[in-house]
Amino acid sequence: MGFLEVEDLKVYFPIKGGLFNRTLGNIKAVDGVSFSIEQGKTYGLVGESGSGKTTTGRAIIGLNDITSGKVLFEGKDLTSKKSKTASVRKDIQMIFQDPYSSLNPKKRVLDIVAEPIRNFEKLSKQEEKKRVQELLEMVGLSPESILKYPHEFSGGQRQRIGVARAIALKPKLIIADEPVSALDVSVQAQVLNFMQDIQKELNLTYLFISHDLGVVKHMCDEIGIMYKGRYVEQGTKQDIFENPQHIYTKRLVAAIPDIDPRHRAEQKQFREDVQREYEQSYNDYFDSEGLAYGLQSVSDTHLVALPEKG
Amino acid sequence: METTDVKMDETTQGVTKSPSGARIFWREIVRDKLALISLIFLVLITAFVYGISLILDQKEIVTVDLFAIHQPPSEEFWLGTDYGGRDIFGQLIIGTRNSLSIGILVTLMTGVIGVVYGLISGYFGGHVDNIMMRILDFFLILPFLMVVIVFVAIVPKYSVFTFSLIMTAFLWMGIARLIRSKVLQEKELDYAQASKTLGSSNIKIMFTQVLPNITSLIIVTMTLNLAANIGLESGLSFLGFGFPESTPSLGTLLSYATNPQTLEYRWWIWVPAAVLILLLMLAVRNVGEALKRAADARQRRG
Repeated sequence: MGFLEVEDLKVYFPIKGGLFNRTLGNIKAVDGVSFSIEQGKTYGLVGESGSGKTTTGRAIIGLNDITSGKVLFEGKDLTSKKSKTASVRKDIQMIFQDPYSSLNPKKRVLDIVAEPIRNFEKLSKQEEKKRVQELLEMVGLSPESILKYPHEFSGGQRQRIGVARAIALKPKLIIADEPVSALDVSVQAQVLNFMQDIQKELNLTYLFISHDLGVVKHMCDEIGIMYKGRYVEQGTKQDIFENPQHIYTKRLVAAIPDIDPRHRAEQKQFREDVQREYEQSYNDYFDSEGLAYGLQSVSDTHLVALPEKG
Repeated sequence: METTDVKMDETTQGVTKSPSGARIFWREIVRDKLALISLIFLVLITAFVYGISLILDQKEIVTVDLFAIHQPPSEEFWLGTDYGGRDIFGQLIIGTRNSLSIGILVTLMTGVIGVVYGLISGYFGGHVDNIMMRILDFFLILPFLMVVIVFVAIVPKYSVFTFSLIMTAFLWMGIARLIRSKVLQEKELDYAQASKTLGSSNIKIMFTQVLPNITSLIIVTMTLNLAANIGLESGLSFLGFGFPESTPSLGTLLSYATNPQTLEYRWWIWVPAAVLILLLMLAVRNVGEALKRAADARQRRG
């Protein structure tokens, strides 16, 4: 029994239309995704826009309805109605992508960070205030800022408030939905390092959703690559970055910029090669609908979506 | 609503506070002289009307006095008398008070109903929204004037409150729709979604997270509705479906002008009421427009 196991998760959005608003079809946002995360590790979910990575994260925490499949958190099935209740909610929290819209502009920091505490724990006003101040200190903000409003902070500071709110209940799993993609690069590193620090401190598990491979390489132990709602490759950091098997992954890895100007020509050549290979072998790796095949085991940790006959 | 906001902001925020809603509104009002005059006019007239009507005796004013029929303005009757010898000035004061009371009551009641209805409908969406909006559509297609006339005819005795209730029953739909559309937008924002993951109940999210973010819209709409409701009440009374003559309102005074004799020769009966209706509606509208601009940073002048 793993810490978090996702089995054949499917999230379809119906297309309504025609007479009487019938369901004409489905958008298969997430189409049969399976993975598992061990406690204390960081699992990266990577993919281009619209690949279903965010939907996967939101389905796990319950913001999107699951069409079929299972999400097991410490053995408990999150998809059954009963367990949608408090205790599990407390253990899974989320950090949102946009620090500007994820904090209620009309609330003070105290109210924002204390919201989960008020929902799950009965603390006196004084205890609550102390707790919020501790949390703010933990994320590197001054405890005096509890009476400020979100717009009085910079983007990085706001994201820290978001993190403080997410760790307020001492959760076990945090779903980080592109936590740094809305921040500028100098602040990104700051927030990422600090996320790693509190991970060690609180023994957190991250489901790290991102499209930035550089960030993912820095943060994650295991990585899953998604494309059009399906997995194309899954493996450890080494598997993905040093031995990518799927043509889509190769292309992604090739797209990571190299800052050393001496390699510029080589990089360009390499990228062009990969692009050529991608175009030539596209039909070998994707089926007639342009979707990835089922995952095949390459090594103990490494799974790749290859056609049956290989 | 505005004043409590100010107090909270001033006591809790630190040195680097940004201007509160009330202060932004005040700046906007000061910049727009017409709105400032309107606001002062409104405050004065409201204070005056409610203050004076405390000492006026409504019974005495509406009692018919046959020896003082159709008196022009004089020392004793500042604005003359009507065909029943009743003092127009007293009727004007009480009438303005009644009209204002109804306007405010109707606005508040439609506001509360509309906001709650729109919040629930917009927040839950889907089937709930669909059913609630169809009910709303039903109310919307009822011919307002005819239904109110029927109600007024079957309810034997009515006061300011019951009359407001009748009007409210058919006037809450506009604000409900407006709020619903805004809530539909607002609930998709990350902060509302975040609240869900933090374990807040739907009701809590609706009233403590979403509602504070649409207050400016609510205040602006309600202010503009107030002007419309005052006009509507006067209109109904004018047509004879508002208050009886024993309960004066601006509309009943105006309806004396349906008599051509009064219209032509006894201006003191209907002109003050007509001017007052015009000024009241204009003033409320001006303040409302200033509020509207204050609520939208792109339109602000101050």
